[in-house]
Amino acid sequence: MDNTAATQRPEAGDHASPASGPWPITLDDVTVRYPNGVVAMKNVSLEIGAGEMVAVVGLSGSGKSTMIRTINGLVTPTAGTVTVGPHRISRLKGAALRRARGDIGMIFQSFNLADRTSVYRNAMVGRFSHTPTWRTLLGLTTAEDRDIVMRALDSVGMLEKVWHRAGALSGGQKQRVAIARALAQQPAVMLADEPVASLDPPTAHSVMADLADINADRGLTVLVNLHLMDLARQYTTRMIGLRAGEVVYDGPAASATDADFEQIYGRPVQQRDRLGQQ
Amino acid sequence: MTATTTEPAQPTPASALAIPPKPRRVAARIASWAVTAVILLAFWDIDLEWDKVAQLPSDLVHYSALMFSSPDWSMLGEAALQTWRSVSMAWIGAILGVVLSTLLGIPAAQGVGPVWVRLPLRWIFAVIRAMPEVLIAIIILTVTGLTPFTGALALAIGGIGTHAKWTYETIEAVPPGTAEAVRASGGSLTEVIRWGLWPVAAPELMSLALYRFEINVRTSAILGLIGVGGIGAMLTNYTQFRQWDTVGVLIIVVIVVTMIIDAISGAIRRRIMEGAKVRGVERIH
Amino acid sequence: MTAADAVAGERSQLTIPPRPRTWPRAAAIVAALAAFTILTTIPAIGGVELDFASIARNWTNGADRIVQMLTPDWSILPRTWQPLLETLEMALVDAAISAVLAVPLSLWAARPTNPNGVARRAVRFVLNVVRAVPDLVYATVLVAMVGVGTLPGIITLVLFDIGIVVKLVSEAIDSADAHYMEAGRAAGGTQTQINRVTALPQSWPAIASQVLYSLELNVRISAILGLVGAGGIGRLIDEMRGFYRYDALGTIVLEILVVVIAIEVASNLLRKRLR
Repeated sequence: MDNTAATQRPEAGDHASPASGPWPITLDDVTVRYPNGVVAMKNVSLEIGAGEMVAVVGLSGSGKSTMIRTINGLVTPTAGTVTVGPHRISRLKGAALRRARGDIGMIFQSFNLADRTSVYRNAMVGRFSHTPTWRTLLGLTTAEDRDIVMRALDSVGMLEKVWHRAGALSGGQKQRVAIARALAQQPAVMLADEPVASLDPPTAHSVMADLADINADRGLTVLVNLHLMDLARQYTTRMIGLRAGEVVYDGPAASATDADFEQIYGRPVQQRDRLGQQ
Repeated sequence: MTATTTEPAQPTPASALAIPPKPRRVAARIASWAVTAVILLAFWDIDLEWDKVAQLPSDLVHYSALMFSSPDWSMLGEAALQTWRSVSMAWIGAILGVVLSTLLGIPAAQGVGPVWVRLPLRWIFAVIRAMPEVLIAIIILTVTGLTPFTGALALAIGGIGTHAKWTYETIEAVPPGTAEAVRASGGSLTEVIRWGLWPVAAPELMSLALYRFEINVRTSAILGLIGVGGIGAMLTNYTQFRQWDTVGVLIIVVIVVTMIIDAISGAIRRRIMEGAKVRGVERIH
Repeated sequence: MTAADAVAGERSQLTIPPRPRTWPRAAAIVAALAAFTILTTIPAIGGVELDFASIARNWTNGADRIVQMLTPDWSILPRTWQPLLETLEMALVDAAISAVLAVPLSLWAARPTNPNGVARRAVRFVLNVVRAVPDLVYATVLVAMVGVGTLPGIITLVLFDIGIVVKLVSEAIDSADAHYMEAGRAAGGTQTQINRVTALPQSWPAIASQVLYSLELNVRISAILGLVGAGGIGRLIDEMRGFYRYDALGTIVLEILVVVIAIEVASNLLRKRLR
C-alpha cells in the first residue's frame, strides 16, 4: 500500500515536527480508580524513550485504553505521576493541560471525526492548541495553519479529498484524516488507541505502516494500543502487555512468543488474536 | 471510493502542493442568498417601530420593577382558585380530548381503517390543527356560554388535531409482528387492536395523554382571554386595569404551577416509558 | 414419598408460578385519577361544571356557526392580504431572530457541549421559566407595556421559539454520539473551539429542523396574537368576531389553513434535503 510519508523527507519532516524533537514518556506508580470503583490501572511504572515505537497489548478491559488516556490527560490518575517530555501531565489543568495536549497527537478506534463537516475542517481541529479561541469562533485561519493542514493531509494521501465531507469517506480514509489531524498538531508524541480495530485487514496493515513511517521518518515517539499479536510483532519494536491493569510483559515485540501472549491474554492464543497477512 | 485515493501521492515540493480547488456549490449559495434576502425584506417591510425597540430595555426594567418589586400577595387566594379552575379545564379537556382522539385516531391508522375512513379523518385532523383553540372556543361558547366547560370542550376538540395524529402515528410505529401473530391465530379486527396493538402502544399513548395535559395547562391560560374564566381571564383583567403588582403575582403563580405540573407529569411519563422498555425485553423484577 | 413418586407428581400437576399481584397498585392509581377528576368537576372549589345538558339544548347554535363558517364570504379576501402578509413576516422575522439566539443557547444547554453543570442547569432553568408562560400571556402583558403593534408580537414569538428550539436541540445534542469531542479535547482545544468547528456542523440538521418547526408554529400563533393587539391577521379575526361575521371568519380560517399546510409541506421538503 502507500508509503507517502517516506516520500516527504526531508522538507515535510522538518515542517511537521516541533523544534524540541521527540519526547520520552514516564509513568511513575500510576493508579486509576474510576468513580464506580473499577481499578483500571494498578501501580504501573513505565519508561518509554524518545522516538520509540511501542505496542501496548491486552484484551479489552485490560486498562490499555485508560493508560493511553492518562498520557494526554483525558484521564487523570488517582495516584502517581505521568510525565511527557517537559510536561508533568498528571499535575496540569486548564490552559497548561491544553497546551501539553497540543504537543501530543492521538488517534482513535472510531476515528472521532465530525462526519457532517469537511475533511479540511476536521484536520483543522489539530491546530486548536495553536489558535486563539476568538479566531476559531470567527472562523479565521492563518495561511500558516492552512499550509500545515494541507501538508498533513498530503502526507497521508488525503489531500485530494480535502473538501469532501468526512462522513462520505471509507473507514481507512477516515482513519487517515484522523492521522492528518494529529499530525497537524506537529506533535512530539503520537498516541493511537486501537487505530485499526474498525478496519478491514488490508487497510489495517496500511494504517499500521503509516504509523511506523511516522515513527521512522518524523522520529515521533509512538504508542499504539493493539489487541492483535501479529500487528504488534510486525510493526513495533517494543511491546508492553497489560492484564487487569498491571504490566505483565515488557520486552522486544519481535521476539515475543505465543507463551508471552498467553500470559498477557490470560488464556490460550486463539485465531481471532491474529489479523493475518494482507 | 475511487482507487486513486490509495495510490501513493507524487513527491511534492514543499512549496507547491496540489490542493484541489474548493468546490463552489452554486445552487446552495443562490438558495442561501435568496433566503437571506427574503428575511431581510421581511425585516424591512414589517412595521417595526424602532424608537419603541430602542426604549424596550428601559421599559422592561420599569415594568418588571412594578410587577415584581412588591407583588400584592393578598391576591394569592383568588389566584389559587382561578389556577385550579384553569387546571380543571386542562384536565377535563385532556380526558375528553384523549378519549375522542383515541376513538378517531385508531381507525385513522394504516392497517386498521380502510382508506375511505382514514383519509377524511386525517383531513379533519389537519383542519383542526390549523384552527387556533381560541377560534374553536368562540364557536363553542354559542352552545355552552362563557363557562369553564366551554374552555374544557375547546381544549378537547382543539387537542384532537395533534393528539389524534400522534395516536395514529404511534399505532403505525408498532412493529407489525404482534398484530400479525394475533391475526394469524384467527383474531378479529377488535382482537387485533386489543391484543396486538394496544399492549405495545399503550405506554406511549398514556405518556402522550399526560403530555396533552401539560400542553392544556398552558392553553387554558390562553383561553381565559376570551372570558371562559381561570387564571388567564384574571391576568387579562388585571393587565387591562394596569394593576401591575397583581399581574406580578399572577405571572409568578402561572410559572410556578406550570413548572410543578411539568415536573410531576414528566416524572410519571418517564416511569411509564421506562416501564415499557423493561417490559419490552421481558424482564420482570 | 420416593423420588420416583415426586417426579410422577410433578408431571401430573403443573407448578404454576404465583401470579404477581399488580392489581392493588393499579386500583390505587385508578382511584387517585378518579379522585383528581372528581375534584376538577366541583364548581365550588373552582372546578369545571360539566354541563352536558346545555350541549343537548343548544347544539344547534354551534351547528349554525359551523354552517356559516363553511359558507365563506370571499369578498373579505382583499382585506386579508395585508394582515396575512404581516403575520407571515412576523413568523419569518421571529424564526430568524430566534435561530440566531438559539444556536449558542442550545450548545450551552447540552451536556456534551457544556461540561459545566452549574452553567448548564442555570440556562435550562431560565428556559423552563420562559417556557412556563403561555404565548398569549406574554402578548397581553407586552401589549400593555409597549402598546399595540407588531413589536409585542415579535417579542412574544421570539421568547416562545427560543424556549422550544433550545429545549429540543439541546436534547438532540444530548442524545447524539459525541465521539468527535474527544478528538478536539485530545488536540488541546477549548470547549468553545470544539463546539464551533465540530459540534455546530454536527447539530446543524437538528437546529434547522427545529427552526423550521418553530416557523410553522409561528404562523399558527401569530394568527391569534392580533386578538390581544399584537399585530397580524388575528386583528381581523377579532374584528370579524365582534361583528358576528362567521362567514368572514370561515374565509380567514381557510386562508390560515392553506398557508399552514403550504409551510408544512415546504418545510418537510427542506428537512429532507438537510439530512
